[in-house]
Amino acid sequence: MDWIQTLLIPIVYSTILVVILLTGFAYLSYVERKLVARFTMRFGPNRAGPFGLLQPLADALKMMFKEELSPKNADLPVYLLAPFLAISTAVIGWAVFPFASRGFSVLGYSVPPVLADVNIGLLYVAAVTSIGSYAVVLAGWSSNNKYSLLGALRAGAQMVSYELPLGLTLVAVILVVGSMNMTEIIQYQLDHTWLIVLQPFAAIIFFIAGLAESNRSPFDLPETENELVSGYITEYGGIRFAAFFMGEYIHMITFGAIISILFLGGWSGPGADAVPFLGLVYFILKIALMIFMMIWVRASVPRVRYDQLMRFCWKFLMPLALLNLVVTAIVIAL
Amino acid sequence: MPADYLPILIMLVVAALFALVALIVPYYMGPRNPSTSKSDTYESGKLPFGTARRQVPIHYYMVAMLFMMFDIEVIFFYPWAVIFRQLKIFGLIEMGVFVAILLVGYVYIWKKGALEWD
Amino acid sequence: MTAIEIPALNFAALLPLFIVVGTGLLVVVLDLFIADKKSLGWLSLFGVILAAIVGNMQQGGAGFDPAFQNVSLLDGYANFFNIIFLSTAALSILVALGYLGRVGLHRGEYYALLLFATSGMMAMGMATDLMVVFIGLETMSIALYVMSALNRHSRPSGEAGIKYFLMGSFASAFLLYGMALTYGATGSTNFSDIGSVLTAGTVAPMAMLGLGLLLVGFAFKVAAVPFQWWTPDVYHGAPTAVTTFMSVGAKAAGFATLMRLLMVSFPAFAVDWQLAIAVLAVLTMTLGNVAALAQKDVKRMLAYSSIAHAGYILVGVAAATTEGIKSVLFYLLIYAFMNIGAFAVVGVLEQKEAIGTKLTEYAGLARKNPWLAMVMALFLFSLTGFPPLAGFWGKLYIFRAAVNADLTWLAVVAVINSGVAAFYYLSVIVQMYMKPAADDAPEILPSTPATRIALAVAGLAVVLIGILPASLVDMVAKGVFG
Repeated sequence: MDWIQTLLIPIVYSTILVVILLTGFAYLSYVERKLVARFTMRFGPNRAGPFGLLQPLADALKMMFKEELSPKNADLPVYLLAPFLAISTAVIGWAVFPFASRGFSVLGYSVPPVLADVNIGLLYVAAVTSIGSYAVVLAGWSSNNKYSLLGALRAGAQMVSYELPLGLTLVAVILVVGSMNMTEIIQYQLDHTWLIVLQPFAAIIFFIAGLAESNRSPFDLPETENELVSGYITEYGGIRFAAFFMGEYIHMITFGAIISILFLGGWSGPGADAVPFLGLVYFILKIALMIFMMIWVRASVPRVRYDQLMRFCWKFLMPLALLNLVVTAIVIAL
Repeated sequence: MPADYLPILIMLVVAALFALVALIVPYYMGPRNPSTSKSDTYESGKLPFGTARRQVPIHYYMVAMLFMMFDIEVIFFYPWAVIFRQLKIFGLIEMGVFVAILLVGYVYIWKKGALEWD
Repeated sequence: MTAIEIPALNFAALLPLFIVVGTGLLVVVLDLFIADKKSLGWLSLFGVILAAIVGNMQQGGAGFDPAFQNVSLLDGYANFFNIIFLSTAALSILVALGYLGRVGLHRGEYYALLLFATSGMMAMGMATDLMVVFIGLETMSIALYVMSALNRHSRPSGEAGIKYFLMGSFASAFLLYGMALTYGATGSTNFSDIGSVLTAGTVAPMAMLGLGLLLVGFAFKVAAVPFQWWTPDVYHGAPTAVTTFMSVGAKAAGFATLMRLLMVSFPAFAVDWQLAIAVLAVLTMTLGNVAALAQKDVKRMLAYSSIAHAGYILVGVAAATTEGIKSVLFYLLIYAFMNIGAFAVVGVLEQKEAIGTKLTEYAGLARKNPWLAMVMALFLFSLTGFPPLAGFWGKLYIFRAAVNADLTWLAVVAVINSGVAAFYYLSVIVQMYMKPAADDAPEILPSTPATRIALAVAGLAVVLIGILPASLVDMVAKGVFG
């Protein structure tokens, strides 16, 4: 029986992925605090453990031992569904990311470099990353709090708006590669060159729209502390609050991974073909670089106004992405 | 092949279980001292008034509708992009017509002020 | 990877449709930059006429090849309906050119939506596949929903829009469910494939249910009793220029698809649907006419009268013979002219939204404006079915088709109904010619040249077809499929 191959390996595989992502999230929050602190001439967390390295653990424990409150006017089922969606949908995109040139085998069973090598990989990623906006909207609506609702409305409008340029740039990538399969996209970049060279505009638009899509600064309007308290998470506390936090940070990692795969060649790099483990290292380094850039942007760019945000998306990014697509199509056809 | 998608389903289940555990376990770890003022709606310390579920600006509906239209049109691009190299000029012209119609709608909403936020 | 075979699409067959859509898109864009909305109206008119000419040229030449892998077909039948739709569109544009400016509604969107709706109707006429039927239907309906609510500041218009939208969506759901069941029973969405499967096999209850739901859906769209209740409110509430268009166009489109579907896909169930449609016809005519008798408002009365006319047309459909199809085609074209004419006159007399449409406000029209009273009388006589006007021949052919198809009882009911209808049509004429105008009656605003052209064309058509029905009969003969 090969139930080990078809069931057990995927189960272990995805469990490891989820665990790594959750740990990654915890340390990402540490890295971000540390980095932003350094950008602004502060020290950042440095009390818990050496260099404050135990800070995420302390935070997690604190969150877990908080009292769980549900506002009495909230729509309870939806109110509880929202954080669940926020965590669970953030990680499932990783099922189609290839991590190395080839897998390895354990006791005669092969472990593939990608959990599910499906031919609609990119479409799947685009679909699951956009489910995150449901979590936001449901959270804001169910809380029955004015701040939450306003935050959710803003977030919802922002996320769906930026999904359009995002989708259009993805189309440009598919157009060049001729496939939605993640492995083939990387293979194409191995055969030719990184897509950031072939599609610089798409890469830039994707990065900007990705920032907005994951509600990162300078597009973090939904959570503007100074006007909306915490936006859609105002009524959430304890682990449920952490859930949204988690979702957002994992979203960030996911976006780093998507950009790395689409535009930076994924696991490709010198020697990665021969030594698959090296590919994984390159992949992680590329993700780290992207995340560093996101944090860098956060530390250096002021938050935009809401009307600027929407105008920028609909009147600038959208036509630009469309133009990029049309030009790409014409170049390829001729 | 449908079997290719089995790992995705497994990942979905694993992620969902993880989220459930993460959300349910702490419920039994924390203290529980409910009180009416604690579970009241938060409005910056003031007594909350009215419900939050009131009419919202029409702009948000507009954005939702525009998103629906444009997103569906973007989805149409996906299969087209995959086989574009085989369709060649025919595909280019067909999509040119499609994009032209899309642009008419885009110019229309722009000029009608649906994209303004004031 | 296998190479992709691009099928023969036969764009030529769809050229008239493309011209209409293209003009519509052009109007949308120009509307944003042009303040003079009248020029948009003339542009739309040009597009419509061009489409009609191109469509007729196709007819002489390449002809009947199915287009887009057998989902649509520009045969004589479709072309005849295209003529109905395009003349409806053209006359409505002419009516609107005068009407919209006067009531302060002159918006470019009217013309664009009208063209889009027309394109949907044309798609329905050409459809030989359930998918295309649905696309055409929705293109038409959605444009019409918006047009009904064109006057955003008027409550009746808003009510018309929302009512039409809700009822229409409801009908679309029925229709779609019917299509799904039909597809489930036969494994095809193509008209003739469905037909051959159903003819070959035993009677499948699922297909029967599908047919029933399809009938309900189309009954909604053509405003047949008992699915007519939205009609009076929508036709009355919508701006008159819109009512003019949709009272004819939407109905004709519904019948175009319904007849092709029934005759091509469901001949195996002919006995069943013939009876169902005959019952619908009786109910529709009777209720439409009886309710129209009680109306005090001419626009609303014409709305009920249009229900009654749907009933007469259903008599022709119930005949289920080639002669029946011919009589329906014949009737629909005549109905287009006389009904548009009548609504155009209502539009001329309407001072502002809902003022000037009451029956009593027509008093003394013959003295104030003899020409207008005369054409109105002409259209009303034709709607009644007085010889030798066109309406008479229309009714005659339909009734004869029913009698020849052994539905004499149905024809008798229809004749009695026509007699009832004479009462309310004549009451308008009585008001115009035999009652003095009220002292405080407002002046009649002069009609624009465009409206006069529309009235003249419609009036001439009604008279000419009345005198020379044979010419139209020949044309209709070419319009039968199969």
